[in-house]
Amino acid sequence: MTENIYAPHLVTIEKIRNEAEGVKTFTLTFKDPVERESFNYRPGQFGEVTVFGAGEAPISITSSPVNKGYFELSVAGVGKVTQALHLKREGDIIGFRGPYGNGFPFDEVKSNDILFVAGGIGLAPLRSLINQMFSERNKFGKISILYGARYPALLCFRDDISRWAELKNSEVLLTVDTAPDNGWQNNIGVVGSLLPKINMNIENTTAFVCGPPIMIHFIILDLLKLGFKKDRIITTMERRMECGLGKCGHCNIGEKYVCLDGPVFSYQQLEELGENI
Amino acid sequence: MSEMKILDKTKLVEFLEKLMPDFEVTVPSYNNGNLSFSSMAHARPEIDFAGRPLVPPKEYFFPQQEEMFTFATKEGKATIKAHINKDKRVIWGIRPCDLYGIKTLDSVFLSRYVDSYYHARRENTILMGLNCNEPCEAGFCSSMGTGPFATNSNAFDLLFTNLGNQFLVEIGSKAGEELIERRANLFATASDEEKNKSNEIEKQCKQAFLYSVDQDRVKAALTKAWDDPLWAEESKNCILCGGCNFICPTCYCFNIEDIADEHEQNSTRVRYWDSCQLGGYTQMAAENTRKTQAERLRQRIYDKFSYVPARHNGAIGCTGCGRCTEVCPSEINITHILGILGRQK
Amino acid sequence: MKKVLTTCEFCGCGCNFYLGVENNRVVAVYPCPSHPVSQGKLCIKGWRGHDYIHSPERLKTPLIRQGDKFREASWDESYKLIANKLQQIKEQHGSDSIAVFSSSKCTNEENYLLQKLARAAIGTNNIDQCARLCHSSTVIGLAQTFGSGAMTNSIPEIGNADVIFVIGSNTSEQHPLVANQIIKAVKGGAKLIIADPRQIQLTKIATIHLSHKVGTDVALINGMLNVIITEGLIDKKFISGRTEGFGALREEVAKFTPQKTSRITGVPAEQIIEAARIYATGKSSSIIYAMGITQHTTGVDNVMSCANLAMVTGNVGKESTGVNPLRGQNNVQGACDMGALPNVFPGYQAVANDELRQKFEKAWGVKLPSKPGATVTGAMNKFIDGSIKALYIMGENPMISDPDINHTEKALKKLDFLVVQDIFLTETAKLAHIVLPGVSFAEKDGTFTSTERKVQRVRKAIDPIGESRPDWKIITELSSHLGYKMAYPSPSEVMDEIAKLTPSYAGISYNRLEGGGLSWPCPSPDHPGTPYLHKEKFSRAGGQGKLFAIPYRPPVELPDANYPFTLTTGRVGFHWHTGTMTRKDWALNREIPEGFVEINPQDAAKVGIRNKATVKVSSRRGDISLQAKVVDTIQEGLVFIPFHFAEAAANKLTAANLDPVAEIPEYKVCAVKLERG
Repeated sequence: MTENIYAPHLVTIEKIRNEAEGVKTFTLTFKDPVERESFNYRPGQFGEVTVFGAGEAPISITSSPVNKGYFELSVAGVGKVTQALHLKREGDIIGFRGPYGNGFPFDEVKSNDILFVAGGIGLAPLRSLINQMFSERNKFGKISILYGARYPALLCFRDDISRWAELKNSEVLLTVDTAPDNGWQNNIGVVGSLLPKINMNIENTTAFVCGPPIMIHFIILDLLKLGFKKDRIITTMERRMECGLGKCGHCNIGEKYVCLDGPVFSYQQLEELGENI
Repeated sequence: MSEMKILDKTKLVEFLEKLMPDFEVTVPSYNNGNLSFSSMAHARPEIDFAGRPLVPPKEYFFPQQEEMFTFATKEGKATIKAHINKDKRVIWGIRPCDLYGIKTLDSVFLSRYVDSYYHARRENTILMGLNCNEPCEAGFCSSMGTGPFATNSNAFDLLFTNLGNQFLVEIGSKAGEELIERRANLFATASDEEKNKSNEIEKQCKQAFLYSVDQDRVKAALTKAWDDPLWAEESKNCILCGGCNFICPTCYCFNIEDIADEHEQNSTRVRYWDSCQLGGYTQMAAENTRKTQAERLRQRIYDKFSYVPARHNGAIGCTGCGRCTEVCPSEINITHILGILGRQK
Repeated sequence: MKKVLTTCEFCGCGCNFYLGVENNRVVAVYPCPSHPVSQGKLCIKGWRGHDYIHSPERLKTPLIRQGDKFREASWDESYKLIANKLQQIKEQHGSDSIAVFSSSKCTNEENYLLQKLARAAIGTNNIDQCARLCHSSTVIGLAQTFGSGAMTNSIPEIGNADVIFVIGSNTSEQHPLVANQIIKAVKGGAKLIIADPRQIQLTKIATIHLSHKVGTDVALINGMLNVIITEGLIDKKFISGRTEGFGALREEVAKFTPQKTSRITGVPAEQIIEAARIYATGKSSSIIYAMGITQHTTGVDNVMSCANLAMVTGNVGKESTGVNPLRGQNNVQGACDMGALPNVFPGYQAVANDELRQKFEKAWGVKLPSKPGATVTGAMNKFIDGSIKALYIMGENPMISDPDINHTEKALKKLDFLVVQDIFLTETAKLAHIVLPGVSFAEKDGTFTSTERKVQRVRKAIDPIGESRPDWKIITELSSHLGYKMAYPSPSEVMDEIAKLTPSYAGISYNRLEGGGLSWPCPSPDHPGTPYLHKEKFSRAGGQGKLFAIPYRPPVELPDANYPFTLTTGRVGFHWHTGTMTRKDWALNREIPEGFVEINPQDAAKVGIRNKATVKVSSRRGDISLQAKVVDTIQEGLVFIPFHFAEAAANKLTAANLDPVAEIPEYKVCAVKLERG
């Protein structure tokens, strides 16, 4: 008998960290030791998380595959399942199946300069890739990270951000749409307003863009204006999903399924697919 | 061509009855004037029916709702139990459009990642097709190449053709052959005359269709029809019932819900037929990626005539059965839409 | 799998479908192509709306209040407690200190039995149901004009009409399979007139859309009549041969010139003229209306105006014509037919009529009260003033459905004793002293009467959930505890008793219903039923139709400086009434998960709110906060809120301003203000 593709595996919540306002990061380990050892994934892939009694939701993996034995998910409590997940405590058991989807290109962009543009919790899947790239730092050119949120309390992964900023040949710029008076020393404005502030060799740069659809839309326009080629702009698509395996039908963009053929697409691919981005 | 047998029409019920100890034998049957598939345990098989049941037999592989798992959580422990249905079943009287529909579902559920639920039901079911002697009122299967006679011998175990007093029976699989061998005394070998008669019925039936659709022209039109006003015009009366998807032999979309019991320690994961014509189908926490009914109707037509073929080696996603037109409370008519597309330059 | 043919439990269309049953669970739905209304088609509620049947929240045992909580109890204990308490109140304060609310969701047999329990076992005519809130003005308005308060024609006839006038009905959302007939008719060349302050879906295929101000229906129709009479488009033969009262009507509508009508209604004069001409010159013109007509302080006037229009042009008593009120609930027609009304026995036989009352006294073997009882809306005030002490509710949820629910809550809390029989612990049941678990339509046998007067079978598909019991069974057992024995082996025998006492149902029996439904009047066992009424003569005493001169009265609560917007309430196609059933289904909830207020873009800009922003809406009676839905399909100055959502209950805002005759509340008009929430 073949394996039941929909069966969740049991995972233990080892640690819960308050990541940002309304966002928690869960460190998870598979209960089954074999599963724990063999679990491997690429940055940009996702899994289906089960909170028993509440349901299942697709969540992208935010840890880097370099870290073995555990993985991390950063989750905003916005839907029925994610809200139920936010009520869980360390030691609780949830379900997980995955990894699904294609993941980001990695080997393909080696020796490139890399530009990351992220908004809000959109940094979660990119964090996985950024950390993997930094683990093989000498294989990539300059790494620039532009990150914004609506206001400071919504910025995720502060520890990673300060670490990345200190690594050589890298640049990290932060911005918020609005800041209260107390102590925000950084930029103010949408994340796109950071683009003119960095030096880029556009010919040799691949851009990774993640965030709310409206942000992705405008960043892509900005990048095209700057002269980025369509196939050098990489983004992720979010669609409603039930199965993650190309069966339930929900996540199609044209003939492609976001869960199988995505969630990572180049802008060139998206343009060919037609449906509104 | 595989081997052909002849079964006297009066012997069909006997043939099926003998299977009942080993199989749940499912047959088309009338209930208050409505044809539907029913278990022979409490329904009389309808041998000489025209048309097809409104709900296709896809539900025997992909039910309207299906329990996938039960979860129990207690004191930090969780257990997961899967519910795989392995009932042995024979379905007699499946029309070619629906045989084609099942092949389409196969290509979704049995490819790449195998769906255990569908797989178990499909493995344990014998498909006995029945060719059509006359077209359905709203049908256009001959244009889709899916009927009125079954075209793909991999799509059935046995295929029946009504010759008047007898059935011509084509064997499509080893499993089908074995069932015939069990009751070999009921079957005779078909003569050329009988085979010719079958061909003649097919020819006449094909000529009797009221609707024809130019598949190639439709496909070509879709490459340019994305922003066509027809989607808004044709969908303007849609009341979002989902019926066109529910009764479509090739529609496979589903939604998964967890239903917690009163104390929330146990829950059941159920999957249900879903419909891309509903607004909530693409609804996410913050936004909906298909906001208008025009986009949703466009999705349905593109899926059948463009996306499914692209994903499955060119196989068309519409069987031409006409059910979506019949079931629509808003009188949205697929042949009308395909006609508009087919006439586009 | 077992497939059980039954009748849909949602709206009055009366669609049939099969429930697929496995292991005593409803797991599938199959449309019914042979049914003349549903024709193998269903709306989303028909396809998907039945999940509530197996909801974990279903009531499974009787509950008895203990302080702030409920405890589970046995049936026997509950019956005894109810019987003792009701007897005690009856002895101390008289029979009329007890009121009973019946249910238009329940079967005919259950409504019959509950009004019998009220009248025969308790001795009061204080029996009513939610028809009071939706179509009491129809029952009275059409009875006065035609003699029969129901849809004059059958649903399939609409498809053959050549003019259809839809006024105050969002048919696509509320009666989808009636809308299907309208769509068919229009595709076949029929002309469609829509009068509605909102652009409903059908306006997309309408010949003309009259966007009149809410509450100006009488003026609009008088204006149309003015044109019809002035231009000689009347049916003289019909008026002289079949009606009375034309002179007075002519005199009244003479005042409503197109110009004057335009000033009142906001509809351009030329549109009024055009609509009048289209309607009057149709060979068969059919009027379709729903709660946009009935839920006004002028509800009865509005209904009678529709009747005027039909009679003056001879559009009644013929196929594909008539005045067709679309009844909301699956069995609101039947609940009225069964005498779950304070003034009539089954078949609209007046309780005040000695001869008729004696017929029932003889049949039921008990003396019956002759004084008409309290209405649903009237009873609320009697709870407050203490003249009614106890209330028994079967399957209604006034805490969401009644106007001004802050007042409703106060009234219900004044009661000494409240019993609620329902399938869920509704907002109303939470206030009860005793809660009895009834069953859903899938767990019992019976009949519903659809909006086209068609009596159809409801068939038991599964056994009752938990210890719940069929509602008819509960009524008979309680009645026996009250000392008035009721014993029926099954609902079929109840129908036999109904047939004996109700002339319009005299020919109806379960045996006959096996072959499909029967439309009343069906006076004898060989009568085929009556698809359309008033063929040769009206059912009104004397046989003539009555034309009424109807002056225009504006709604009671109009906008002013403090409350500058007009609120109109209604429903959406994905939910049902107080949401107890539909809000438990994933598909319906996914479509519309929460309440909203529709507001015009100009108004939204004025108030400073964006689409999807939270808005606070307040009236003189209360306030709610909900999401703004900025749409250009609603008039400026008007906002619309569906009433399904308990957490943003529209009826906290509405006023209990009642039609003086029908006592129906003016749900369609009250004044509100909007603020950013």
